[in-house]
Amino acid sequence: MDGTSKSAGSPSRVVFALGEKAIFKAGDRVRVSTRSPIGHYRVPTYLRGKSGSVEKVIEPAAIDNEEESYGRNAGSKRHYYRVAFRMSEIWPDYAGSERDGLHIEIFETWLERAER
Amino acid sequence: MTHQHEGDDHDHDHDHAHPHAEISEGRPGYYDIMETAVRELLIEKKLIRADEIRRQIEVLDSRSPALGATVVARAWTDPAFRARLLANGRAACEELGISFYDDTSLIVIENTDKVHNLIVCTLCSCYPRPVLGLPPDWYKAKPYRARAVVEPRAVLAEFGTIIPDDVDVRVHDSTAMVRYLVLPKRPTGTEHFSEEELAALVTRDTMIGVVPATVDVARPAP
Amino acid sequence: MTPTEKLVNRLPNDVGGLPADPIQRVEHELEPWEKRCHALADVLDFHKIINTEEKRRGVEALGAEMVVKLSYYERWIVAFANILFQKGILTPTELALKMKEVESRSSEG
Repeated sequence: MDGTSKSAGSPSRVVFALGEKAIFKAGDRVRVSTRSPIGHYRVPTYLRGKSGSVEKVIEPAAIDNEEESYGRNAGSKRHYYRVAFRMSEIWPDYAGSERDGLHIEIFETWLERAER
Repeated sequence: MTHQHEGDDHDHDHDHAHPHAEISEGRPGYYDIMETAVRELLIEKKLIRADEIRRQIEVLDSRSPALGATVVARAWTDPAFRARLLANGRAACEELGISFYDDTSLIVIENTDKVHNLIVCTLCSCYPRPVLGLPPDWYKAKPYRARAVVEPRAVLAEFGTIIPDDVDVRVHDSTAMVRYLVLPKRPTGTEHFSEEELAALVTRDTMIGVVPATVDVARPAP
Repeated sequence: MTPTEKLVNRLPNDVGGLPADPIQRVEHELEPWEKRCHALADVLDFHKIINTEEKRRGVEALGAEMVVKLSYYERWIVAFANILFQKGILTPTELALKMKEVESRSSEG
């Protein structure tokens, strides 16, 4: 993504702010980072390193709630995504249907592109 | 101000302290005093105003599962509204005059013959307060929060809800600015019910997703 | 990860997937002070004096023992006090004296 777009009939080239455009789109495969921040985090431990797929980009971009927790009420914004996981991906011995799933919102900086 | 107990109160999660801090005859307890002191100091410093607190208490009192029930009953009877509700939960609720004072957005998820949805907040107690009011204690306590994401079918069974194997269970863990509301399945045999009669079938727990909506909801509490 | 590292890395509220007891379907009518405490939280967030995320962090910062032993709104009001001290909005002495005043006021009459 080059951060620019050209709409039909418009001569001007629109430049988007850093982080203004979502990096992932619905359907993308993503993996949750395995990092372990201390102090405050909003990605539960049980999801670290798990792979899922982006169900929806949550608009508009918003402040990282981990930063917000230290009183930063403004700053660089990025997107949250609604990400879907199979329960069997999260819990190897999950008792239930193979199609059971978990849906959660995750901030962009926590996600990496996954192969499958 | 008097502080009275509402009946017996052994009604808390056992890994939590007594929810009622005050124990002596009408005298405020330690945390009650702390709340008053913090609030009065902030008012004296002109950081907040007493009328803001009073107004917010009124706001909280005006939110209850009855609001959510109105939304669900409308969705059951008005297909166009249902479509708008599923597309943008907050905007559709706002159509019915329900404001989102906490600036959250709302995703409404629909239970069908193939999918059963359940909402939880494992990290704290995120809940669609503008539409349902404040959550019950069990929703905020560890057992529900710990288990809903790992054994949702067992959790549902504890609420008496058995989900067949061919129905998918989807758990929604809230972590940021999105809140979830379950649109339960309309019970069969309610084809001739008015919107008001339908709303009476919609309990809080059906909108959390732990039980289905049924026609025998009017039974007295055990 | 060593046990102390685990204690540092896993916030006390991060309970998803941990072993836990059967669900007890308990609820209680909020005490008047609990409702005021909730309203206070909302108003503090409206003014961004303590935003909602700071409140969550403040509760986690109480540590595992207090998170388990204090009730829901007890955790909130103690977290608010700590955050207001950190921000220099209140001092511990100021709050302690105010609490004495509130207490003596309510024991009169």
